[in-house]
Amino acid sequence: MATSSSCVVISDEEQGYDLDLFCIPKHYAADLERVYIPHGLILDRTERLAREIMKEMGGHHIVALCVLKGGYKFFADLLDYIKALNRNSDRSIPMTVDFIRLKSYCNDQSTGEIKVIGGDDLSTLTGKNVLIVEDIIDTGKTMKTLLQLLKQYNPKMVKVFNAPVFMKETHPFSLFLCVSVVGFEVPDKFVVGYALDYNEYFRDLNHICVISETGKEKYKA
Amino acid sequence: MASCLQISDDEKGHDLELFCVPRHYESDLDKVIIPHGLIMDRTERLARDIIQDMGGHHIVALCVLKGGYKFFADLLDYIKVLNHNSDKSVPLTVDFIRVKSYCNDKSTNSIKVIGGDELSNLAGKNVLIVEDIVETGRTMQTLLSLLNECNPKMVKVVSLLVKRTPRSSGYRPDYIGFEVPDAFLVGYALDYNEYFRDLSHICILNEQAKEKYKM
Repeated sequence: MATSSSCVVISDEEQGYDLDLFCIPKHYAADLERVYIPHGLILDRTERLAREIMKEMGGHHIVALCVLKGGYKFFADLLDYIKALNRNSDRSIPMTVDFIRLKSYCNDQSTGEIKVIGGDDLSTLTGKNVLIVEDIIDTGKTMKTLLQLLKQYNPKMVKVFNAPVFMKETHPFSLFLCVSVVGFEVPDKFVVGYALDYNEYFRDLNHICVISETGKEKYKA
Repeated sequence: MASCLQISDDEKGHDLELFCVPRHYESDLDKVIIPHGLIMDRTERLARDIIQDMGGHHIVALCVLKGGYKFFADLLDYIKVLNHNSDKSVPLTVDFIRVKSYCNDKSTNSIKVIGGDELSNLAGKNVLIVEDIVETGRTMQTLLSLLNECNPKMVKVVSLLVKRTPRSSGYRPDYIGFEVPDAFLVGYALDYNEYFRDLSHICILNEQAKEKYKM
């Protein structure tokens, strides 16, 4: 069942901000419509999420599992905040980091199957508090399948963190996803930036922005 | 010959009490060898040097996991800041690989590259390999010859640290943050059995701590 946690809700009517109000890499000037979630806001929200994560998971060895490639920026920022909290605690908390890539295969019955590439042996997750860090959840199928896979290794606890989360009405799977920690809930718009890429571009854009038609054409695969 | 900040073998380092060090590590560390701010300042300059050489063309930044990710994230942040504020903008794609090395009897290295996109994507691009520390240099040399087979336009290596050790093969990365003594270092990107990730400065681990945090 969906765990509803409070999060920053970006409404469907949200217009975003003019590009001229922020610093955008010059080579993307024509490729974006609006700034949707400024970088500083992402960081402030992430700082709070780190606190919540530590409250729930901080008592035990944490394995922070980064889902590449999109997850790495959130991962680095989130971990910085977690480490800052660790610095001020009384105990040394071991924190393992690991990196995985997910390739999903859908067959005709649309039951998603996924392949986990890279990462240490998943048996190292047994008995640990596992934190999965993902950039965006769309239908939720991939994450659901990953969670089922990880459960087989008997972790102590598994939580999923991501900054923006799509909640699409047309994809009922997302409603059944145990997404524990949500940064932002966003409308169904084509967003790029802060590690959300479009065919490998826009990773170097700090803010989450709406891509323009020009941009979609220009960077088409 | 890459310039770098030399930390000499007889470097005294800084007293722990002069900096903020997590309380739970106070008895585990000898000295602060490279404070976090200094790492960031040096990284900022490396970003500038890299853009100067490689900024003319699409850069593929290749992060060597797992140790490299912290330095990678900070370096890329500085490169992005330069992008925002300069006339030249550099399209930047990122990728992540793990390198497992296998030594056979004849001590010629072979390495296995795990993860990452198709290496053929590197053809014609400026490839920047980002590593946390180079010790013997053999793994990096083997990785370079592997990548060169993919015909990139240019391949450069940036390593935050290079250890001054007799075991070195003589290989030097193109960009070096710091050259450090052959001591047991932890902090910033360097963990010890998953501990010390929450330490921002690079410090020397003392003998008791090596025992304490042993596997």
